[in-house]
This record gives sequence, C-alpha cells and structure tokens, in this order.
Amino acid sequence: MPMDAAARCDHCGLPVPAAFARPDEALQFCCGGCRSVYGLLHDLGFDQYYRLRDADGAPPVPARVTGRSYQDFDDDAFAAEHARPTDRGTCRTRLYLEGVHCAACVWLVERLPAFQSGVVSVRLNLPRAQAEVEWDPAAVRLSEVARALDRLGYAPHPWRHKDIESLRKSEDRSLLIRVGVAVACAMNIMMLQGALYAGEYQGIEPVFVGFFRWLALALSLPVMLYSARPFYTAAWSGIRQRVPHVDLPIAIAILGAFAFSAAGVIAGDGPIYFDSVSMLVALLLGGRFLQSRAQRAAVERSEALRGIAFVEFAHLLVEGDGSREVPVESLKPGQRVEILSGELVPADGVVEAGESAVDNSVLTGESMPIPVHPGVEVSAGATNRGARIVLVVRAAGEGTRVGALLRMVDEAASGKAPLVRAADGWSRWFVLGVLGLAAVTAAIWLPEGLESALTHVVALLVVSCPCALALGTPVAMTVGVSRAARIGIFLKGPDVIERLREVRTVLLDKTGTLTEGRLAVVEHDLDADTAARVVVLEAQSSHPIALAMRGKMGTDTDFPVPIFPILPVEDVQESLGRGIRGTVGGRSVAAGNLAHLESLAIPIPDAWRTTADNAAARGLSPVLVAVDGTIRGLVALGDPLRPEARHTIDALRRRGWRPTILSGDHPAVVARVADALGIPQGDAHGGLTPEAKRDFVASLAQGRGSSQSGRVLMVGDGVNDAAALALADVGVSVHGGAGPSLAAADVVFTRQGLDPLLQLELGSRLTLRIIHRNLLLSLCYNFFGIFLAMSGLVGPLLAAVLMPVSSLTVILSSVAGRTFFRPAARGESRPWS
Amino acid sequence: MELILVLLPLALLFAGLAVALFIWAVRKGQFDDLETPAMRILFDDEPAPKKTEPAKNRPKDEEKGDR
Repeated sequence: MPMDAAARCDHCGLPVPAAFARPDEALQFCCGGCRSVYGLLHDLGFDQYYRLRDADGAPPVPARVTGRSYQDFDDDAFAAEHARPTDRGTCRTRLYLEGVHCAACVWLVERLPAFQSGVVSVRLNLPRAQAEVEWDPAAVRLSEVARALDRLGYAPHPWRHKDIESLRKSEDRSLLIRVGVAVACAMNIMMLQGALYAGEYQGIEPVFVGFFRWLALALSLPVMLYSARPFYTAAWSGIRQRVPHVDLPIAIAILGAFAFSAAGVIAGDGPIYFDSVSMLVALLLGGRFLQSRAQRAAVERSEALRGIAFVEFAHLLVEGDGSREVPVESLKPGQRVEILSGELVPADGVVEAGESAVDNSVLTGESMPIPVHPGVEVSAGATNRGARIVLVVRAAGEGTRVGALLRMVDEAASGKAPLVRAADGWSRWFVLGVLGLAAVTAAIWLPEGLESALTHVVALLVVSCPCALALGTPVAMTVGVSRAARIGIFLKGPDVIERLREVRTVLLDKTGTLTEGRLAVVEHDLDADTAARVVVLEAQSSHPIALAMRGKMGTDTDFPVPIFPILPVEDVQESLGRGIRGTVGGRSVAAGNLAHLESLAIPIPDAWRTTADNAAARGLSPVLVAVDGTIRGLVALGDPLRPEARHTIDALRRRGWRPTILSGDHPAVVARVADALGIPQGDAHGGLTPEAKRDFVASLAQGRGSSQSGRVLMVGDGVNDAAALALADVGVSVHGGAGPSLAAADVVFTRQGLDPLLQLELGSRLTLRIIHRNLLLSLCYNFFGIFLAMSGLVGPLLAAVLMPVSSLTVILSSVAGRTFFRPAARGESRPWS
Repeated sequence: MELILVLLPLALLFAGLAVALFIWAVRKGQFDDLETPAMRILFDDEPAPKKTEPAKNRPKDEEKGDR
C-alpha cells in the first residue's frame, strides 16, 4: 500500500478531505457523520466495533447521520401499519437499516438495548439489512429508538412489502423442508439398496430381499409425492404453455424410473432404481434452494429500497412555532417548508426566502448547482447545497416532477419481459437425442422379450438422466452470484450472467458515474500563497463553489497546499452568483466570475479573458482570483472524472463493447468528458431528458434483431437514469446511486468507482466458461453411460454409482473454478473519495 | 437375523423423528438467515455495557493496518 499524503478517517478509513482535516487533533474524520458516530461509540465504550470491523475486512463505508427527528414514527397510523404488539406488553417492528455492511454492524446494532432504555431486543438480518426491534412503548417512543439508530449511522426506514415477504418466506421454508425430506429418505434408501447390492454378491435370504425392496418403495413415496412436486408442476405448466421447460426431462425420468421400479417390487422381480431417483431429487432440490437463497437477499434489499420514498420528510413551518418534521405525503400546496443546507427539497415549489444553490444532478444529470433566490422554482429531489431556504409548496408527492419520473421507472420495470426458464439449445437437443436412443435400444432388445427391452430402456433413462446437465448451470451460477456479492457486486438474478455475454453496447451516465458527481477544482494555476488566501476567504461562504475550493480531496489537480495557514479575514462581502471579496492577512482578495471582478473595477487583461472563455467553453466554471487589484490566477471548477474512468473505458473497448455516454448535462460538458475518455463525439449524447434516455435504450433494444448492436448494458446512478436502467438488458447502478436507480438496476455495486464493472465483465465471462465446461463434462458421462446401457452392461448398481459421481464432478468443477475475485491491490490502494 | 425385521422399522422411526424435528426448526424460522448468526458467534459476551477501555485514544497505526 503506497503512503497516502492524506490522513485516513479514524471511523471509516477513507481519506480525509482537507476541509475536514484538523492538524492539531490526534483523530481525523472524513465527514461529520463519522465524527459523531466515533464520538458516540467512544462515550459508550464500544471500541470493540473497530476490532470486529477490521477483522471482518469489509470495504470502508462512511457513516451517514441524517439527524432527522423521526416524529412520524410515533403516529398512530404508523403504529397500526408497522408495529405488532406482543404478549408481554411490548411491541415489535421491522426496520430497513441503511449502511449496515459487516459483522461489526451486526454487533453494534444488537447492542442498542445496552444504551437505549426501553429497547428490549434487536436482531439484525444482515443480508436483508433488516432489523427486528422489540421495545416497550411505555418506556420509550419508537422515534427515540429510530434516532438512536440514526446516531449510529444506520438510518432506519419502515419495512414495506410485508405480504410478498411472508409469502416468499413460506416458499423458502417449504422448499427447505422438501430438500430435508428428500435427503433423509434418499440416504435411508441407499442404505437398504446397499444391502441388496451386497446381497447379490454374498448371498441374502429371500425374506430380507422382499422386506428391503418394500421398505425402499415405502421410503421413496414421500420423495415422489411431496419433495418432487415442484418438478411436476413446472413441467406440466411448461407443457400447457408449449415451452419445453428444463424440468420436463427430469419429471419424465423420475416418474418413469419410479413406476418401473414400483412395478418390479409388486411383481417381486426386476431391478429397482429408488436410490438413484431419490438422490437425484435431493440433489436438484438442494441446488435450487441454494440458488434461490443467493439471489433472494439482493432482490429483497432492492425492494426495500423501492419502498423507501425518495424524499421522506419535510420541515413544515408552523406559525410562530418554528418547524416540525412531517412526512412528505402530508404536504399540501400553499404550505411553507424550510430546507436546510444539505437536505433534499421535499416538494416542487417556489422559493420564498433565502438565497442558495440547488444541485439537480440526481434528477437531470446537470453537474453545476443552480443559484436560486426568491421567486425561482425548484423541484422535489434536488439537494440544497447552500444556505437555508424557505419554499412555498406547489405540488407534493405524486404530482411532482420526481413523482412522475418514479412512475415512469415503475412502468419500465414492469414492461420488461421476465426471462422464461426454457431449456436452452443444448439440453433440448439432448432430450430429443436420449428419447431417440431409447427407441433404438427398445428396438435392439425387443427380440429378447418386452421385459428385457423395458429394463434396458429404463436403465438408459436413469443413467442418461440429465442430472449433471441440470445441475451444471444453476450451481455454477449460484457460486458466481455469491462470490460476486462478496466483492461488492450484487446480482439480482443469475440470468444477468448469461445476458452479459451478448452485450455489445455499454451506455454510461456521466454525472456520478463517469465523474464523481461533485464540484471540485479541476484546473488551477495559483501559487501557494494566493491559494492559501483564496481558500481562507472562501471558507467564509457556504456557496457550492466556495465549498469546492475549500475541499482538497487529495488528488493532484487540487491546490498544492495541504494544510492552510490561519490568516485573519476581514470585510467579507459576497455577491450572489458572482463571487466574494475580503481582506485576508492584510491584502485585499477577490474571487469570482468576470462580472464580479469588473464590478470591483479590477482591470482584466485579454489573455485572462480568453483563458476564462476557453474554460467556460469546455463546460467548466472559471473563477478568477485577484490580489490587491491584479489578477493572479484562474481556478476552473467542474465535476472531475473518476480516476479509473479512462482505464475502464479502454478495457471495455478491448472487450468489444462500444461505450456511449448518455447524459442530461450540457452538451459542452459531455463533449469534454468524451474527449478525455477517447470516446468519439458521435457516441456522446448530452442534454437528454430522463424520457430521452429511456427511449434511447428502447430504440437500441428494438433494433437488436436486425443490427449487431447486441444487448445493451446501462450504467447509471441518478433518478433520471432509473427508467433506462430498468429497460436495459442489464442495468447497473454504481455505488452511491439514488434509491430508485438501485431498485431499478439488475446489478448494484457496493464498492465505489467503476472498477467493479470490469470485474463483473470478467467474472461473468469466467462463470460462463465454467458452465460450458460443466455441460461438456456431464455430456461425456452421459455418452459413456448411454453406450453401456445400450449394450446391456449397465444395471441399477452402475447407475447408482455413475449418477452421483457425475453430479459431484460438476459441483466440484463449479466450486473450484475462479470466477469473481478481488483484483490485485492496485484497485484497493486508490483513494476512494 | 430376524431381529432386523424389528430393528429396521425402529431405526426408520428415529429417522422420522429427526425429520419431524427438522421441519419444526424450519417452521420456527431457524434457517431463515444463515449468515448473520455465523457472525454473531464471534462477539464476546459483555455483561457490563459501560466498560471503559484504558487506551481511549488508541495509536492511529493500529487502524491503518491493511484492509
């Protein structure tokens, strides 16, 4: 690990921005959230959290403390919907917790009763990020419990979709019981048949033969009647819809072998295959159970996100009584709300008081904050980046622009055709081939009598039963999905892996995906002394440009001064939308746009004018700096590219993917980014509305049949990308994406940056290679077995040995293969911010 | 050897009992979350929540280890 110039946060381990660096203190933090959580943990004596976290090796996640009051959790309506009373006079509820990610989080959340009186118990389910909280309503309000969780950095939300969830839970449980019953019966049947096989060689009394055979039949009844039922229903519905379902050959094989064996037992003669059949059912069900386990957690988390309103609460102004926190749904047009710095705008409306700047990047993709003042309209979902403003509500909830966007996302998500689990080309031909060979076998052996022909046909069906074939794909996929989750790539379904193979076009959002989604210094030519003065001056302002100039993020494009000297500042004057001036350390300093410096009567040479115009033409915001009346330099602010963006784009291009930028930002900015990434201007589309993004994806999907555009991968992070993400063949939401985009995407990254995109591509390619290897292996086994069965060499014993060995080979091949893995330290040592 | 005719059904009865227990455990939700309990086992029992660590401001190197 190279030495980092910037200190690392003592809470989360991320680099500390200079604006937060406190050189005189022993502890450093990257943000206010981490500072307050660290302090709280120390006051409580919970230092064990850090030991557990370090032992776990989870990727760093900064703490986010919202500081909201959660008053709505105390409403009667809320209690009626979400709280369940228990016999002991306490209440229980389920909460979705933001930010839980490792074993230490489990430990911390479950320690809640130790410092929040009135809380009886907390149990956290980490994969679902779901906490089951039991509290005593007489001793504590739920809002206090919620605030305590929030102070720990785990913002709680009510858990919706309870009906679907309990339905799924009972589905999961019944599948597990089916697996358990099948395994228990199969093991006992194997024991009985083992005795029979031994008896054939060493001699066995006829009374035991009959007894064991009848017992084996009795034991296989629960397997056939109960455990195997999902295969019958799936095969049957496939027949009715005239789709050859993967379960059809399985159902035929197990029913055929069982019927033949049962007839043999009743007749008192003939081979029996109960062990092979029940083992087959147990293995297949087990594989299916693991598969549903692996993807369920990802799906449920995304559904929980969908349930969370994008904007949850508002500070409603009450006449003469300050403000009260209310849920967004209760806002009415004409009401006045206040929006503090850093908060989301809760409703569409007109600014009544206050001057600030709002960041629309999540809604539109614009990277530059827009200055607002009384009379200006703002949209719900935008972030207030400056000072407090007061808003008169015009529309709230469904009626807002963001409400319309979310409806569009839902429509796009429901319009996507669910993948039909049809047998793929290979196994369909395989089934036909086996049936043809069965006919040939019957024809060969018919001269020796009907019974002999039947025996050989059943032996063929059992030995060629597509067990390994049916296991090969799901097991490899399951292993892939769970390994991907471990390196911060959550796949919501294994079919994503298959679809990725055919991807030819990759659509990338700009703001927040290719770039870091925040304003920062991109270029500057200030000397250290001027830089120090400007930074100290800008520290007096809360304007987004001032914040960006203060925040040195540890990259080489920022100012050369790591820690700024403390200089006295006087006479600060800020003119909104223009700039700032003041006296710093005895010298007059001014920073702002051309108009600002002109208004201060500072002469601007033409060379500086041209430089500023050039920067503006490339989509940057130029800020001129003057000291004592002369221009000393220029700072260009913009949304910086992610450091790994160029590398990622080049690697994707080498893989034959065509990168295209879809952005809502100004075309000039998009052109600059495309230039830096080597993407031709024809593939860089700027100024797109969310609807235009969606239509772009739809048109590519339409033309897929005719052209070579292949499948479409979309990478994005904002609400404006969500509909396109839902519609794309594979939608990917990068870390830090807005809730709706996380919910709409098929793949969610929980590690920062674009590196996971390359690992997703590589990992899914390797997984597919393993699947093909598995198919090849099982086909080899099957051809071998078929050959033996047709020549009459295979009996129940050989079938019983061959079948599990082939399945085992396939499982081992899936587990041993290298698929999704963490890249070498290169990606790890990079600063995350 | 005829004892097998009695012992075997008896053994199967025990197996059936185990299956019944398994079904009971599944219905009780004991298999709903297989990941978190695996972490929970690592936590030390702490009878007293207010335990003051002697080294309150640990040296920073301890945290800067590879992760």
